[in-house]
Amino acid sequence: MTEPLDALFWLSSTVAVFSAWRVFRADSMVRAAYWLMGSFVGVAGILVLVGAEFLGLVLILMMAGEMTIMAVFMVMFMMNPAGLNPMNMVHQHRTSLLAGVLSFVGLGAIALLASFPQAPPPDPAAATSDLGHELLGGSMLVFQTAGVALLSTMIGSIALAAQRGRYGSAAEGSEEPGAPIDEEDA
Amino acid sequence: MTTPLPLWLAPAVVASVLAPAVYLTWVLDRWVGARVAGRRTSLGQTLASPLAEAAQLMLQSSPRAERPDRVTWLLAPASLSGLAVVAVATVPLGPMLHIADAPGGIVLFGAAIALVMVAVFLHGWSANSLFPLMGGYRFIALALSFEMPLALVLIAAALPAESLRFSDIVQSQVDVWNVVRQPLGLPLYLIATLGASFWGPLAFPDAPDLAGGTTAESSGAALLVWTAARYALLVALCAVGAAVFLGGWLGPGLPGPIWLAFKTAGLVATVVVIGHHVARVRLEDFVVVAWTVLIPLALVDVFLSGLLVL
Amino acid sequence: MGLTAFARLAAKAPAPVFVARGANARSLAFELSGTGDVVLTQTPRHACVLLATGAFPDSMVPALRQIHDQMSHPRGVVLAGAHFRGHGPRGVFSDPVVVTPEGDVHDAVVVLHRDLILGRRPSAPPLLPDRDPTPWRGVGPYGQGGKGMTGGTPYGRPLAGLADDRDGLKLDALELRLGPFLPMFPPGLTLTIKLQGDVVQQARVGDNPFRTDERVSVGARSSVFVRALSGPVTIRELEHARAAHHLERVGEALRAAGLGALGERADRLAANIERVEAAAVRRLHRLLRRSRTLAWATSGVGRLEPDRVAGRGLGLVARACGLPEDLRTQDGAYNELGFSPLVEGGGDACARWRLRLAEVAQSLLLASAAGTRTTGGTGSVESPWGSISSDHAPVGSLLELLPGMLEGSDWGDVITTIVSLDLDLEEAART
Repeated sequence: MTEPLDALFWLSSTVAVFSAWRVFRADSMVRAAYWLMGSFVGVAGILVLVGAEFLGLVLILMMAGEMTIMAVFMVMFMMNPAGLNPMNMVHQHRTSLLAGVLSFVGLGAIALLASFPQAPPPDPAAATSDLGHELLGGSMLVFQTAGVALLSTMIGSIALAAQRGRYGSAAEGSEEPGAPIDEEDA
Repeated sequence: MTTPLPLWLAPAVVASVLAPAVYLTWVLDRWVGARVAGRRTSLGQTLASPLAEAAQLMLQSSPRAERPDRVTWLLAPASLSGLAVVAVATVPLGPMLHIADAPGGIVLFGAAIALVMVAVFLHGWSANSLFPLMGGYRFIALALSFEMPLALVLIAAALPAESLRFSDIVQSQVDVWNVVRQPLGLPLYLIATLGASFWGPLAFPDAPDLAGGTTAESSGAALLVWTAARYALLVALCAVGAAVFLGGWLGPGLPGPIWLAFKTAGLVATVVVIGHHVARVRLEDFVVVAWTVLIPLALVDVFLSGLLVL
Repeated sequence: MGLTAFARLAAKAPAPVFVARGANARSLAFELSGTGDVVLTQTPRHACVLLATGAFPDSMVPALRQIHDQMSHPRGVVLAGAHFRGHGPRGVFSDPVVVTPEGDVHDAVVVLHRDLILGRRPSAPPLLPDRDPTPWRGVGPYGQGGKGMTGGTPYGRPLAGLADDRDGLKLDALELRLGPFLPMFPPGLTLTIKLQGDVVQQARVGDNPFRTDERVSVGARSSVFVRALSGPVTIRELEHARAAHHLERVGEALRAAGLGALGERADRLAANIERVEAAAVRRLHRLLRRSRTLAWATSGVGRLEPDRVAGRGLGLVARACGLPEDLRTQDGAYNELGFSPLVEGGGDACARWRLRLAEVAQSLLLASAAGTRTTGGTGSVESPWGSISSDHAPVGSLLELLPGMLEGSDWGDVITTIVSLDLDLEEAART
């Protein structure tokens, strides 16, 4: 049983590390964003293998949307039609080198020095429920309510920012129809 | 609890379930199209048409475009079909027969549908051409508007089962199907299905006004894989719909997988008929309706289902 | 042997055809619809056969050659009544199949497709050299094609420039030239548009390629409406032609809306117009009304205000704005038949397709009631494009209005608008 799992672990980690390296070798924003997503998919595979199935799948679910949005926004703001034209994607070499070495050493130290429990992986459903209690505890209902409130706020702000408002198209100016400005008074 | 298939048998089962389903959906699409167009075709001609079209695409040369992202261009159709396979694999076929009935089955299915967005965008983007790119962007603009109701109605269906596992959700419908218990669920799910498989009124990325959209520069085997993957995706979405809202394998007399096949076929036929009769709407109008009507309705669905469980 | 059986199976598939239309093009609805063994593609990439019909001015030939090279192998060319000035019928393409005026286009396409698939005929070689417009690789500090972070002009395409957009941001605008063979555009129409996302910021209609003296060498269009300018024609023939014309336009609108099968039904009605009952058209109309999304998708799109179209003789477009402008009201023969013009309010694409279908039913009733009555010869005629005379083509005024209608709309609405207006460039070039 362990051997296929080991193979899957090595596969996932290879995908994660290789894609992460490709992020910095890609010459386009779209490519870089999706290599990063590939790296997250590799990490999600490892999470599923260690029994955090829900966490792993949610990571994929979220990253698919987030990387797409990131790619689109980068393309929109960089005047590079579609991000297919090649461009230089690496800047601030010294700072990034320092940050990279520091985080590698830190994470490596944790991997080598921390003591990990030797327990068998928990049942995925129980792990999901434990995760919920760990993160939110007794304030589950509060957070759920806040989540719905945030969603309604989002819908509301989209409605407010939409081109077609209550008083017609935003391009024509939004003037309340009942109270026109009297030009003779002005 | 259901027993899992042996690991080595799973790919064979998925292939033997999905391949005929894709073929029959393709035949159905062509047959309904001919009926709507008022064209008379023989049964033999209709049954042969997907095979002949597939053979023709196999003989066509592979796509060429000016400086495409070659690897991504080839991978996008392949990954779309892979995602359809993953989505189909989550559906339990019978009380004792399932392929990948994960404890978080709904999340797995949701992740596959979220990655469809990436596959479609990359298919459009990688061709390095105007219309495919616009098709890809259209899908991103559309995606959140159908994914939100999709996720919400699936969560609502998971509430009475108190589980994210598809087989538990089917089992929870022994007394009454979710289509009755949560009347808002199936209509919203069908609209989301149209979006996720970019079909009929929501067929934005591959629309004819973009000269074929993301497929405008495709040809040959790549186009064949993309076309088949779209049918497979439709089958997967309808199979999940049948399992979640129509009681999946539950039914008297016949074996479970047969019932599931009937229910899936019913949903597929509904979507195909809609595709030939209902015009594509305006993207902007749909997004407005999605955020002001569909998502609030889906939230109401979640609240009502939660109340019923309490 | 296996491959032969495979190829034989592939040859049973419907022949994918990309149609390129020039001036005075052969009406193909009759010949290609109906059997299901020919399918019209949206893009040359999907096509196996390029079907060129009509007279192509020199300005359209380079684009035609490009389309030929964009087709995938195996590929071939069918010429049906195609004329190229200065080239023979075989001068533009290397080895085309030429259909005589009496020949059957449908059979020619099907036979060429089968021969190509079965390898009995070689695939057409490219006509143009395959190379980059400009070298770019290795240029610039990172080899990315130019100076600065985002490169210069890779592939010879300038990067997009900054422009204000409707949300007050400064995002890139892309200038593109589309046409003259885009399937959803009328033949010959080219548009230069500035796109931000898929919103049109600016649109410019390109030169009418048919407005040249070359047309003379080909012969003017033999349309019954043009004939009616100078001499009498039967009302029956005229109204049948009008009904078929409008049905074909409805078919285009349906195809653009993603309803290919219903579009094919409209084409079939157009092809058999002399045997079609008005009830069959009404059934199609009812079906479209009932699905509601077509009305939802087209209402408010491409709206024209009545004061901008009044008095320009715009015919159906004016009647869709609620203006009862119709030359037929001044015709005694039509008055005997009890003709009164149909109008539809709204002035948008939705009003136009609804009115088109209503007028098809009306034309069919007029044609069946007309007997041997004749009309025409007065120098002006109510055509599907409006009231035409030998020196007035109302399509020209629509082309002037077009840029203003397109600016600010997204790409889907651009196509809906153009398809709804029936911008016949050949008719515009008649005067």
